[in-house]
Amino acid sequence: MKAWLARPWFGPLVALVVVYLLFVWLSPDTFARSVNLSTMARQTVVVAIAAVGMTYVIIHGGIDLSVGSAVALTTVVIARVLERGSGPLVAVLAGVAVASLAGAINGLLVARLRITPFIVTLGTMGALRGAAKGLADEQKVDADPSGLDQLMSALSPSSPWLLPAGVWIALAVAGLAALALGYTVFGRHVVAIGSNVRTAELCGVPVARVTILVYALAGALAGLAGVMEFSTLTVGDPTDSIGLELAVIAAVVIGGGSLAGGQGSIAGAMVGAVLMTVIRTGCTHVGVPNWVQEILTGAIIVAAVGLERLRRRR
Amino acid sequence: METRRTFCAALTALAAGAWLPGCRDKAAPGPGGGAGRLRIAVIPKGTTHEFWKSVHAGAVKASRELDVDIVWKGPLKEDDLKSQIDLVQSFTAQRVSGIVLAPLNDKALVASVNGATRAQIPVVVFDSGLSGGEVVSFVATDNRAAGRLAGGRMVKLLEGKGRIVVLRYQEGSASTREREDGFLEAVKKGGLQVVSDNQYGGATTQTAFAASESVLLARGADKGEIDGVFCPNESTTFGMLLALEKAKLAGKLRFIGFDASDKLVAAVRSGDIDSLVLQDPFKMGHLAVKTLVDKLRGQAVEARIDTGASLADKGNLDAPEIAALLKPDLAPWLGK
Repeated sequence: MKAWLARPWFGPLVALVVVYLLFVWLSPDTFARSVNLSTMARQTVVVAIAAVGMTYVIIHGGIDLSVGSAVALTTVVIARVLERGSGPLVAVLAGVAVASLAGAINGLLVARLRITPFIVTLGTMGALRGAAKGLADEQKVDADPSGLDQLMSALSPSSPWLLPAGVWIALAVAGLAALALGYTVFGRHVVAIGSNVRTAELCGVPVARVTILVYALAGALAGLAGVMEFSTLTVGDPTDSIGLELAVIAAVVIGGGSLAGGQGSIAGAMVGAVLMTVIRTGCTHVGVPNWVQEILTGAIIVAAVGLERLRRRR
Repeated sequence: METRRTFCAALTALAAGAWLPGCRDKAAPGPGGGAGRLRIAVIPKGTTHEFWKSVHAGAVKASRELDVDIVWKGPLKEDDLKSQIDLVQSFTAQRVSGIVLAPLNDKALVASVNGATRAQIPVVVFDSGLSGGEVVSFVATDNRAAGRLAGGRMVKLLEGKGRIVVLRYQEGSASTREREDGFLEAVKKGGLQVVSDNQYGGATTQTAFAASESVLLARGADKGEIDGVFCPNESTTFGMLLALEKAKLAGKLRFIGFDASDKLVAAVRSGDIDSLVLQDPFKMGHLAVKTLVDKLRGQAVEARIDTGASLADKGNLDAPEIAALLKPDLAPWLGK
């Protein structure tokens, strides 16, 4: 029991359960239905996948503000490639490749030019958004989704898979990333750099290479999140996901990630992502006006950061 | 120490939750409010623009007349496609009685709308159409008829003789294309000569202004070679107005625009714009909810319902029916 309590994701998990039960109590006829659970799972996928990458970046001691723009750019790239008549696999690979490249550029600028990640990704946030709009001729790009929409479609009730493919992919990605973070040299290096970059350097950690890899990984995962976003939208939308980066950062922070680096957990970030979906969906079910919902979500994020401070003080 | 952390997390969640019951009472009667009472989700494209407030007021009026509950919920971020899709899915999972939706995109919402219909939740679409999708009814301005209305007015203003420029809105925008086509149909029938109808204003006032300047120059407006101009939406109308003012041509040629804003109404008052075509968002919200409730109560409904359009000009700006469209009194419905 002690070991469970010590886990970084335990606090957020308790919060999630409490908030969930609260909405079940407020909206008993509708909120606990299984179809609502699978709908919420689907609606968490994009933030969850992006949060896996963001967890790495934040543990590494950085931040990535360009996630939302990278997701939008990916949807546009996929739509454009499909429009030319290529198959869905080619489109997905092209989308993920573009986002990974953007991530690698973030990493290069941070590692080589030694500009703070906040500034670098603030810049690429704008640049990628512009690129998405340019590639899309400043409008939504229609293309036949060629089966990609199935990744995130509701399944027929008789399907043995329970949840759409996108949810399983997100879970698999999170599982692999958590293992890599805990049990590989790369994962140890990321934590070491985030804890104390000078010490890590002295101990022979290849800081620049790991930095570039971390941002490229975050880019690739933003690309995968973009694939799921395209699957939901079925059009390439250059104005999509404005502000998504803030939801993703919030998920990581709620899950115990420290913006000072060195701390964070994939499981916690997943709990954080689900918590935000539960709040949003719950507010819809209960009929809370948008402005209250925004205040509420903001309050919960601040409360989560407050918790993180309390924990670090000890 | 661990227990303290857990306690804090629980406390936070509770504190956040404490907001909700109070808000719920004000926002809408809960789902448990009376057995069998219809609960209808109304999803606009956004919640802050004047247009959507009028739609909201109309929907509230219908809900009071028909004794049903409505849940008014727009995308959290104005005009955000993903949040609108999420909302349709959430309301479907919630099993509301029916959904009234103004889709942000004619294709992207089709899958979610069909999902709702499959779950036996009827959907009425308003304001903008869907390409395909199983819906009960489409409640919106008949844009072609509205365009013809503008065209007829232009023919009358120019007494059947003159050269016309149409500044189109944007490629791929179905509603404005129908307005343009309706206008062109009417002016050609009325004997006017169309000298330009292939220029597009684009998405913003800025792009519309640039396109207006070019087309006015290219067609020799300064030499009096254009007699009338038509623009199919608010941004093109405003862009054209700015271009005409800058070229000192405002008021010298006949100008009909579409939709209203404070600046456009002021221009009608000063004579720079001859007429504005006005839609009726209040009626749209009212009829969309009413149509859905009729359907849910087993009555036959029309597949296409026109909410009409009116012409505002200097003479009738203060007439009650036009003033109600320009500055609707929403207080009785929205309580502000």
